[in-house]
Amino acid sequence: MGYVVRRVLTGLGTMAFVLVFNFFLFRLLPGDPISLYTRGRNMDREQLRELRRELNRPVGEQFLGYLANPFSSGVDSTQFSRPVWDVIGDYVWPTLVLLVTATALSAIIGIAIGIKGGWRRGSTFDRTSTGVTLTLYAMPEFWLGMVLLILFSTGVGVFPGVFPSGGTLTPGIEPWSVEGVLDQAWHLTLPALTLTLAYLAEYALVMRSSLLDEVRQDYLVTARAKGLMDKLVRRRHAVPNALLPTITLVFLNIGFVVSGAITVETVFSWPGLGLLSYQAIRGPDIPLLQAIFLLFSLAVVVANIVADVAVAALDPRVRT
Amino acid sequence: MPRPALSAAAAVVLLALLPLGTGGSATGAEDERTTFTVGMSQDVDSLNPFTGIVSSAYEMYQLNYDTLTDYGQADFAAEPSLAESWEVSDDGLTWTYTIRSGVLWSDGEPLTARDVAYTFNRVMKGKYEQTNFGSYVGQIASVEATDDQTVVMRVKAPSPTMLHLFVYILPEHIWRDIDAKDVTDFTNEPGPDGIVGSGPFVVKEHKKGQFIRLERNENYWGEKPAIQNLVFRIFTNEDSLAQALRRGEIDFADDLGSNVFESLEGAEGVTQFPATYSGFDEIAFNVGAALDDGTPIGDGHPALKDQRVRVAISHAIDTEALVERVLGGHGTPGTSVIPPLYQDLHYDPGASAYAFDPAEAARLLDEAGYTEGPDGIRTMPAGGEDAGRKLSFRLLGRASSQTSQQSVQFVAGWLEDIGIEVKPKIVSEDALTEIIGEGTFDMFEWGWVVEPDPDYQLSTFTCANRSYKDGGSVFANLSDSFFCDEEYDALYAQQKEQIDPAERAGTVKEMQRILYEQAPYVVTFYYDNLEAYRSDRFTGFTPQPEPDGSLLFQYGTHSYRSIRPVTAEDRADGKEGTKAADDDATSSGLLTTAAVVGGGLLAGGLVLVALRRRRPEHDVE
Repeated sequence: MGYVVRRVLTGLGTMAFVLVFNFFLFRLLPGDPISLYTRGRNMDREQLRELRRELNRPVGEQFLGYLANPFSSGVDSTQFSRPVWDVIGDYVWPTLVLLVTATALSAIIGIAIGIKGGWRRGSTFDRTSTGVTLTLYAMPEFWLGMVLLILFSTGVGVFPGVFPSGGTLTPGIEPWSVEGVLDQAWHLTLPALTLTLAYLAEYALVMRSSLLDEVRQDYLVTARAKGLMDKLVRRRHAVPNALLPTITLVFLNIGFVVSGAITVETVFSWPGLGLLSYQAIRGPDIPLLQAIFLLFSLAVVVANIVADVAVAALDPRVRT
Repeated sequence: MPRPALSAAAAVVLLALLPLGTGGSATGAEDERTTFTVGMSQDVDSLNPFTGIVSSAYEMYQLNYDTLTDYGQADFAAEPSLAESWEVSDDGLTWTYTIRSGVLWSDGEPLTARDVAYTFNRVMKGKYEQTNFGSYVGQIASVEATDDQTVVMRVKAPSPTMLHLFVYILPEHIWRDIDAKDVTDFTNEPGPDGIVGSGPFVVKEHKKGQFIRLERNENYWGEKPAIQNLVFRIFTNEDSLAQALRRGEIDFADDLGSNVFESLEGAEGVTQFPATYSGFDEIAFNVGAALDDGTPIGDGHPALKDQRVRVAISHAIDTEALVERVLGGHGTPGTSVIPPLYQDLHYDPGASAYAFDPAEAARLLDEAGYTEGPDGIRTMPAGGEDAGRKLSFRLLGRASSQTSQQSVQFVAGWLEDIGIEVKPKIVSEDALTEIIGEGTFDMFEWGWVVEPDPDYQLSTFTCANRSYKDGGSVFANLSDSFFCDEEYDALYAQQKEQIDPAERAGTVKEMQRILYEQAPYVVTFYYDNLEAYRSDRFTGFTPQPEPDGSLLFQYGTHSYRSIRPVTAEDRADGKEGTKAADDDATSSGLLTTAAVVGGGLLAGGLVLVALRRRRPEHDVE
């Protein structure tokens, strides 16, 4: 358990750094946030002065306020005129749903492809699947998303345009009725498919190569010599050992998919954090941007810790 | 064991999805006749009219609430809304509005003059309330409801804006519970009965980042709209928005980029509508940056303080080429700062316009003493303070706008042709605002959208609206050229008190003439608002102004009240595409079948895999 404690402590250290860095990063940005906030508003100079006084507090004082409540240090989102945390709360769920679905699907399908290909290296399946997944991997996500949108939403030639072009719900349908849930799943299909295809290759390739490493190990020869069926050798002995790098990858990716979803969410007008950060940058909405940056960084750090701990739990060798 | 379970689960999920292919499109088709869906690229920032600032939010306010008077659909002339008539005293200081009788709020409560007086008094007295509406009430001394049907307003000085008070009348019985402190955080999100208002529609649902759904207000005092449901869907990607229009998910798209707009050419059932619009782009000059008290600031090039240089540059900019090559032809070459869309107010220089003529530009510069040096770049005239300094200007463009960057490139090329060096730089709008405020620029490219009332636009050229100093720092104000002219300021003050529209228009035109002559701006073009809609489904749009202004996002809710579904009769008339609708029906049937078959195969395959995997496990155990 010493290992786990060490990992968690390192992770906390990273978080502390992120917290401090994030605070100063956004104070280095040029521009007057107050003139952004008040653009198009009729405010007299007295009111502007009051707002500026709020922002011109000593940095030390601001920093303490930020530490006490890093996600909304007293300043509202300039776009939504609401506390930053409330705004993020509205947008976090669609991202989580998309993220979990896409990660689960791409990991399951990717691992399956990797196992099949790695076990029969050089087979037609192996060659085809490696080619296809690498091609998908090379495609920019937004482009892939756009292609899927045109093929399966608009519909071209033989391709059926059955999926909606964006959003999570058809207006007017009660979201938690049976129809509403199905409607939401229907809306989820294309964005989830895009992310799944985009992330598939990584899992397939990592799984394939780590399985290839295991195939050459002596214990598999022993297993076969005992007369075990090929399938059992694969399932009981080779795969569990080969899975470890992929598991690490799954967790690491969770951290990155949050931010990687930005382009896909933009293509499909999926109202998640990716979209929100895009809007925050367009503003720019500095308080919101700062909170989103912090959230994304923390997601990566936490995912890292979880990955390390999970691998340690599964594989005693790394605990030392 | 866990793996087969997972595959089975995946199969179940897929199977569960299947009915949607059929269910989704079937329900969609039934509702389509009465639901009008608009695609837009900007979410509503707040439904509280005291908080929101983006144009999509204002569209919701005017659909949900009424104002006293409206800007007319045909020509922006004032017309009755909640106030059915009005009177002004001879001295122009007392305005009496007669409120319609029998008007009900959407929750059934009566709307009276007291609600009107309540709203205006709230705006006049509330600091926060003034941030959005203060500019409309600054001249008002008092507002009083003398009975249920009469509102009397007293003004400090005669004012031409009393028939254009864009203050949304709010129900007192709802808003009196939201005090001055609560109002800043009040989101005004719709409850089960929607947002209580008196406008033609009621906001029923707001799914943030996704859509806003409105229903027809059955208590509306005017003629009820033909459309029962009105949905605004938010797209963050213009290409997706165009796809949704092709697909028929939305019926209207507004403010499209010219590439996307062109891509809709020939799309079945879609009509493209390049509407003339009230926005313009300009090349602005730093005509001598100074604070509002006259203290010089910044480091603008001295040559640009010379009106003759600015006029020469005006001759060197080919506005027609900009319209063709930057806007793809969707616009009009620019002249004065009030667009021709407002035909009563627009100043047309006619024969005295600065025609594109590089030779004339060069001649004017030579004449003024800015002769070319040995390297072909002109210098400041001999004998002056900066004699020999090169005419080398910084020209700033905006990173967020393709149009801006292209304009900058063209202008830089043209100026080089007449011996002026240009250093283009692209910056964010945020950074540009700051640079402008401090006066550390020579030229920049930006634009304005002009309201039907010219006051605000004209105020951006007054001496008082130059940058100001507060606590040691310099802050930007409305002026971005630092233009300051006594005669202009006097005319500005004069038009503020001219009630007679024709008289005021005269003053406003004279102000534009001064601006055109002094040339703090070269107005490059008035761009079109590129709109497209499903003409196979809806008809009856009314442009503001006639004949080719915007169809939606107008001043007022004119089009929303006149749009109606296309009927069999319209089709018999032959104009609107009947074919498209029929095609849609057959193809969606085919598509559904294809989806069901495809999905079924997929799910079947997964189940098979799951079953096949389970077998060996039994064998061993």
